[in-house]
Amino acid sequence: MSMIEIENLSVHYPAKGQLVRAVEGVSLRVGEKDSFGLVGESGSGKSTILRAICGLAPVSAGTIRIGGEPVPTPRGRAFSRRVQMVFQDPYASLHPRHTLDRTLSEPLAIHGIGGSDARVVRALEDVGLPAAFRFRYPHQLSGGQRQRVAIARALMLEPEILLLDEPTSALDASVQAETLNLLNRLRAERGLTFLMVSHDLAVIDHMCDRVLVMQHGRAVEELTREALAGAQMKTDYARTLFEASADRMLGS
Amino acid sequence: MTLLSVKNLRVTFDTEAGKVEAVRGVSFSLGRERLGIVGESGSGKTMTGRSVLRLIRPPGRIEAEEMRFDGIDLMAASERQMRALRGQRIAMVMQDPKYSLNPVMKIGAQLTEGLRLRDGMSAKAARLKAIEALEAVQIRGPERVMEAYPHELSGGMGQRVMIAMMLIPNPDLLIADEPTSALDVTVQAEVLSILDGLVRDRGMGLIFISHDLRLVGRFCDRVLVMYKGRVVEELEAKNLMNATHPYTQGLLNCLPRIGGNRSPLPGLDRAAEWAE
Ligand SMILES: Nc1ncnc2c1ncn2[C@@H]1O[C@H](COP(=O)(O)OP(=O)(O)OP(=O)(O)O)[C@@H](O)[C@H]1O
Ligand SMILES: Nc1ncnc2c1ncn2[C@@H]1O[C@H](COP(=O)(O)OP(=O)(O)OP(=O)(O)O)[C@@H](O)[C@H]1O
Ligand SMILES: [Mg+2]
Ligand SMILES: [Mg+2]
Repeated sequence: MSMIEIENLSVHYPAKGQLVRAVEGVSLRVGEKDSFGLVGESGSGKSTILRAICGLAPVSAGTIRIGGEPVPTPRGRAFSRRVQMVFQDPYASLHPRHTLDRTLSEPLAIHGIGGSDARVVRALEDVGLPAAFRFRYPHQLSGGQRQRVAIARALMLEPEILLLDEPTSALDASVQAETLNLLNRLRAERGLTFLMVSHDLAVIDHMCDRVLVMQHGRAVEELTREALAGAQMKTDYARTLFEASADRMLGS
Repeated sequence: MTLLSVKNLRVTFDTEAGKVEAVRGVSFSLGRERLGIVGESGSGKTMTGRSVLRLIRPPGRIEAEEMRFDGIDLMAASERQMRALRGQRIAMVMQDPKYSLNPVMKIGAQLTEGLRLRDGMSAKAARLKAIEALEAVQIRGPERVMEAYPHELSGGMGQRVMIAMMLIPNPDLLIADEPTSALDVTVQAEVLSILDGLVRDRGMGLIFISHDLRLVGRFCDRVLVMYKGRVVEELEAKNLMNATHPYTQGLLNCLPRIGGNRSPLPGLDRAAEWAE
């Protein structure tokens, strides 16, 4: 069964005088417990696809199904228990006047889930932040620390599907490794499904079974992990991305 | 020639929960070159960069034996002198670009503001110059972007707008904090070649903060490696991949590779003595 099915999705934003075609006729399927990557040019519509799934972008055509069912509008509580997103811009997605404690416990309170104290401590530990950070505010954290809070928050409700927008691009190599290991462990243990965006082909290769390459709002080419690692791409654009990532190859 | 010299810089936050020492005695000097700063998340890279502009908000405070830019004593400079330097002679591309843009002002107005007020350029000339700057950082449809608000941009477009904005006044020193983390590899290469050109042709000094070790190794001249508020290793960028400090080596080992075996990535045993 496909956990996420997107068919012919288009997202258009009205802009002065012209329409911004952020996403144009994109289709993709992510099987249950699979991990699917989105890569491509900056501004090509990757974040917009994730936002559209969450009901945060104006869908002008196409359908989105989760677990075989079309997504409801508005998305509602059942959806947010099932699907969580880690935003590309952690600063903007964390409330500036809420402590980490409040940021992390609020989703539990909304959904009437108890034991929040222990869960908050556990969540901080999972993403490698000291428990003493619990009462800090976002502005008292470094960029990478904020990003880890955003990941911790998405995990609080134990969703089945994680939409991850550049989850490790603000992290140094060691914290990136720990975060990727955590995500992979959770996927194995809880049977999660991932749809993730990254500019780093090595991260995508490490995490994803399949990857869709995007440019100008359109899908350019879909590749299996083997085809990616084996340089078996058919389009020029996918090849350009691959060749510009030569320093990320095994043995380089 | 030395453009910036920093000796024994310390940044301390006095919080309710006690003292947080974000930077603990960092020293370096910078010529008209590309200096990379890499290191652990939370190790003080951003605070080091912001200190040069004296942009640390209370309860944070800066101490240094010396912080000198082109003959100017930055520790002794008045707030007024600092305002004249910021953005003009020393510019900084912030780690959270969209957060540092004004959310209620169109991109075009933000890009042209300085050109019109400071350089007395006509609206038309400023607009042309701004569009040119956007084109240089590979923004598609710069006319549309001029009319857009920051929330209407993608992550990488926000980064590029920020870079364009910081480069318009031709600064002598650019501090770029993770400036290309949201860019795909091909657009990234274009942006780096602009920065490279400014260092080579105009003699700009560049502090390039990044966690992307492979990028820093390729792009920079020298690299500082930070750990818990200190510089633990300084080396030629071309030798970064053969670093000797166990922390730096550990960092390199944690990187995933295309075609790798997908087993859990090696972790890093953080030894307490690295922080001494
Ligand atoms: N609210 C909005 N109003 C108008 N245009 C928008 C809005 N949000 C996004 N866009 C436009 O949609 C396009 C795609 O943006 P999106 O954020 O999906 O790109 P992306 O692939 O995630 O890029 P990046 O890698 O730089 O983050 C961009 O041209 C952007 O300017
Ligand atoms: N207002 C504050 N109060 C207390 N501690 C703070 C404050 N601002 C920053 N810090 C702490 O200072 C340390 C250094 O932060 P800095 O932002 O310089 O890290 P960084 O090296 O840039 O990390 P990253 O790679 O994650 O961006 C961090 O541990 C952070 O938690
Ligand atoms: Mg994006
Ligand atoms: Mg930082």
